[in-house]
Amino acid sequence: MLSVETRNLEYRYGSGHRALKGVNLSLQGNDPVAIIGQNGAGKTTLVKHFNGILRPTSGNVLINGVDVNERSTARWAGTVGYVFQNPDDQLFLETVRKELEFGPLQMGLDERVIADRLERISGLVGLDDKLDVHPFDLTATEKKFCTIGAVLMMEPGIVVFDEPTCGQDMAGNRRLEQIIKTLARQNRLCITISHDMKFVTRNFRRVVVMNQGNVLVDGDVDEVFSQPDVLRRSFVAPPPITKVGRAAGLKETVFTVEGLMDAVKRQKESEV
Amino acid sequence: MAHALNSFHSLGTPLERMHPITKIVAVLALGLSALLWPDFTLGAALVLVLVVVAFLSKLGHPFMKLILGFGVPVAVMLLFIQGGYSSRNVTIIADWGFVRFGLEGIEHAAKLVTTLLVFLGSFYLMNKTTYAGRLVAALTQVGVSSKIGYLILASLNVVPQMQLRLAVIQQAQNARGLDTQGGLVARLKAYIPILGPVVLSSLTDAQERGMTLETRGFGIDGVRRTSYVQVHARRADFVVGCGLLLFLIMVAVLSVMWHCGIIPLPVLIGGSR
Repeated sequence: MLSVETRNLEYRYGSGHRALKGVNLSLQGNDPVAIIGQNGAGKTTLVKHFNGILRPTSGNVLINGVDVNERSTARWAGTVGYVFQNPDDQLFLETVRKELEFGPLQMGLDERVIADRLERISGLVGLDDKLDVHPFDLTATEKKFCTIGAVLMMEPGIVVFDEPTCGQDMAGNRRLEQIIKTLARQNRLCITISHDMKFVTRNFRRVVVMNQGNVLVDGDVDEVFSQPDVLRRSFVAPPPITKVGRAAGLKETVFTVEGLMDAVKRQKESEV
Repeated sequence: MAHALNSFHSLGTPLERMHPITKIVAVLALGLSALLWPDFTLGAALVLVLVVVAFLSKLGHPFMKLILGFGVPVAVMLLFIQGGYSSRNVTIIADWGFVRFGLEGIEHAAKLVTTLLVFLGSFYLMNKTTYAGRLVAALTQVGVSSKIGYLILASLNVVPQMQLRLAVIQQAQNARGLDTQGGLVARLKAYIPILGPVVLSSLTDAQERGMTLETRGFGIDGVRRTSYVQVHARRADFVVGCGLLLFLIMVAVLSVMWHCGIIPLPVLIGGSR
């Protein structure tokens, strides 16, 4: 059973800034989880604890029941995959193929296993025809997918995406949705930081809202987006269609045009 | 989160409030004085003065680390080379068989080391107590072109920027299963793949910053710019600056006079004409 648990997690940066102020969070299973909140809320600081890039100032982080401090980040890499926000910080080899093979080679996997994964994952991230291109010659979107592919190649049970939708076009977003669905199907836990509320409501059942180093709300997406005062406190704006639905006085929280239309119909029927 | 990109951290000391130009004058005046003076005594005295100034500026510890860390190995090396093999050597003071140490060479080495330390130490103090933006603002105020100013600013910032970037790339490598802790071999092996992206991305960074500056009108000619950072010269800065220049002139005159044999200097250890 995959699980990430934090207990009274506190983190203080060298500058003295207290980025996390006692976070208690328990994430389990294969339902993808979205972490949202304003810039500086502590989202990235929190997820950087899940593979030990940052170590708790106080409190604990347990990955599948094991304290994160017991292993180095490199040792956690096979269990917890982490895709950084800026792809330029992650790509350091001459070809996409080498980037994708790097992680599994570090883990000492068999060549046949690697070749098999390369075929599957390069297809999933849409880079199967660019394997011999230098990563710096990829477009911004492709670079991002190259870093995602590089992490997925290690087949970690837990995958963390930091702002995957940043700078993505429609096709990129669709591919991301595909990847998140695939991960869930393969029984893996996907944790995603995002500012794109449309993307969040479309792909995640569970949403964690952070604000000033604390978890403000943690729950089902309908439940979270039906609390306007809490969202306002965390400076998160729900998707426009949700606002329309609420302004029109709908009882349900809707995230799509179809959802809005259905809710309107149902409400009319019940009024008749 | 990156706050200050250059190595400057405010400590609120008098040296920090000093006008950047005065500090540049100080580096040149002190360094040149040590260089011009016929023997190593002035240099040694100036190093002591710099140590006192460093402690007064709350930089004593790192300053001593620099002076000893650089000074001791260089001194040992130069004393051996100059002392053992300098062509000036006449007075032999020690004979180890394979090498014979001459007084003249040792004195020359001592002068080289103290002069180097005066330049290095005063430059270090200037760098550590001057916010780079203020330095460049002061330079442009006295007429240095803003392009040169930017060049100075960019080169002062490049190292801390690379360090930051290196740290992030290292995190990313760890996250992909590469151990960068471990022993020396593991570290070296981890460093090699990092170098490529660090250098490449600094180049693209520089290019992008250049383009950004152009789109914001940095290249406009013939306009008097207003500066965001204002540097005001105080009376004290002027007095200290003049004092330093006077000191340099005095040292120069005395050295020349000694050189021409007009005056003998009272304490002179092994000065060579």
